[in-house]
Amino acid sequence: MIGFWDVYKRSETGPFIKEQEFDRQIGTVANQLVQKHGIRFDREQVIPSDDGLADKVYQAALELFLELGIYCRDTSRLIRFSPEEVQWALKHAPTTVTYGQGPDTRIMRHRRVEDSLPPFCLNTPVGCTVAEERFVAMVQSYAQEPLSDTFSSAFSQTVGGRPIKSGTPQEVEAAIWNVVKLREAARAAGRPLIGIHNLITNAEKTDATLAAIQEEFGAHPNDGLAVAAIAEMKADYERMKKVVFLDQKGYNRYGLYGPIMGGYAGGPEATAIVHVAHHFLGLLAFGAQWHDGFPLHLMQGCNSTRDLLWLISVTGQALARNTHLLIGVSPFTAAGPCTDMVVLEIAATVLTATVSGLHLNLVAVARNKLPERSSGMEARIGAETAYLIAEQGITRKQANEVVKKILRCYESNIPDAPQGKRFDECYDLKTVRPTQEYLDVYDRGKETLTKFGIEYRD
Amino acid sequence: MKIFEQIVEATVAGDQERCVALAQEVLDSGTDPLQAIEQGYTKGMAIVGDKFSRMEYYLPELIACADAMKAAMDVLKPHLGKNQDSAVQGSVVIGTIQGDLHDLGKNIVKTMLQAAGLTVHDLGCDVQVRSFIDKAEELDADVIAASAILTTTMAYMPDLVNLLGDMNLRDRFKVMVGGAPVTPDYAKEAGADGYGENAAEAVETAKNLVQSKRGGKK
Repeated sequence: MIGFWDVYKRSETGPFIKEQEFDRQIGTVANQLVQKHGIRFDREQVIPSDDGLADKVYQAALELFLELGIYCRDTSRLIRFSPEEVQWALKHAPTTVTYGQGPDTRIMRHRRVEDSLPPFCLNTPVGCTVAEERFVAMVQSYAQEPLSDTFSSAFSQTVGGRPIKSGTPQEVEAAIWNVVKLREAARAAGRPLIGIHNLITNAEKTDATLAAIQEEFGAHPNDGLAVAAIAEMKADYERMKKVVFLDQKGYNRYGLYGPIMGGYAGGPEATAIVHVAHHFLGLLAFGAQWHDGFPLHLMQGCNSTRDLLWLISVTGQALARNTHLLIGVSPFTAAGPCTDMVVLEIAATVLTATVSGLHLNLVAVARNKLPERSSGMEARIGAETAYLIAEQGITRKQANEVVKKILRCYESNIPDAPQGKRFDECYDLKTVRPTQEYLDVYDRGKETLTKFGIEYRD
Repeated sequence: MKIFEQIVEATVAGDQERCVALAQEVLDSGTDPLQAIEQGYTKGMAIVGDKFSRMEYYLPELIACADAMKAAMDVLKPHLGKNQDSAVQGSVVIGTIQGDLHDLGKNIVKTMLQAAGLTVHDLGCDVQVRSFIDKAEELDADVIAASAILTTTMAYMPDLVNLLGDMNLRDRFKVMVGGAPVTPDYAKEAGADGYGENAAEAVETAKNLVQSKRGGKK
């Protein structure tokens, strides 16, 4: 077995390499493995049914991880593992994770490819920037969704009227405020015991994070925290400090990985390999109980493009078929809230993920870039669609035909996607209910999607 | 095929060996090295940049092409003589701003700026606001370029502009910003002179800012 302190030791003693050289190695090795294993992105097989392809991606990722390991930024050293250590970690990886308490207890379990078990829905505005006075309403709109298994945070522009700056005393204050307000939102949603899967999304520094994760501020035992890798395949002591804290405190933790398609790895095939390898990083270096990916398109800042959907599918299948890891994906759309396009983008990504063995972290919209562009409706659209897909037993082959029809409706519009409406235009802020306009947009989307093969109930 | 066309072709192919050999051929044949740079290597890199913007090339290809050009430049530069300055399109101090460890976007912009003929000094990530200014002063740079991927680090961008003002240096450097959470509105609000939505736009912005600073029309 290998423990955290073994990993830490290797960060001090592993082979030295300059960061720029490591970045180049990622591209070189990943592309060699693409050639070696004959991995090919086929534009017509957005959701491939080829088990062999998924297995090749998995094998290539394992080889990449064993060859390169993890780059430690603080020491410029490689943390490497033996095949036996990786296999041991995979064998002993958690099979379930429990969030929430009482009536809001939810258990995440492994999903298989084409599984009828609905995805676990971790619903969140993914740190969308929002005015301080609307923060609680925005996150409440996620927590109150019946299919939300957990929820998480927006990003308040200010706390106490003061902007939040990384590494300042204000960051500590803001992190504490974040936990207090998340629990307040849970209560306002009528679900005081719902799990919060990522308690802190507004602090980069670990001191602020650790200061805020306290019971007296509203953190509950089954809440959790993300520990994010640095793209690609890097970690640092700032992140590893969180691991030590989580080991001692027992909160849930998940690994968060955002490989960039078009970046250091290269194209979709090489990035798929690197994305799967990130799961080994999270398991071995962070002790992640489950794993969330948000692979993104370098130019478009979303993952609803054809090549990214393929990447999501093939990496989900690779891990679902070859491990019992608990894995998820965060859909990122180009379009913003209350647009016909956002409904279709969410449906395409959720369809791809659901049949490929993934759970869902719903949803980052408007490229997760524009302030105030996020609402619980996007999570509702994603979760309801995912449940239908799982219940209807849609196969990968069927899903591939459906997703291509959906893609044809929006893919040419991705570069100039509509920004959509602000949260306060999507929801009545007094009742925290979606506007009729947004409900109508969703209904129109359902009609279109029903024609394509996803059968929505009345 | 004329030598400039061969240089363009070799640069676009990222063929370092060929790029260097052609640079030597330029010198041996008495061809003007500045012309070779402008009509060969820079032109080739412009094509590479376009291909990258269209995602026909990915970052590994972009880096390979930039490396090939750099190797050729190392051969040619000592022979530029009084044209040394003409080959430089301006200078940029670049970094990921205080508290921010994410540098992919910054590294792409850096590579593209270098390929466009600008001199770039990369301060890396998590760069203190004061360090940007000190390095820009030291190098007498034209542009300070700061990137952020986090909302909490983006908040340092106005500090950069304000500190330049407090140090009576605001007119001396142009400031451009970019990164995932940064919008044109935010750049304006922060007091920056320019913004780049992506690497290609960042290069155009930097060139325009250099021209503007040096008294050009743009």
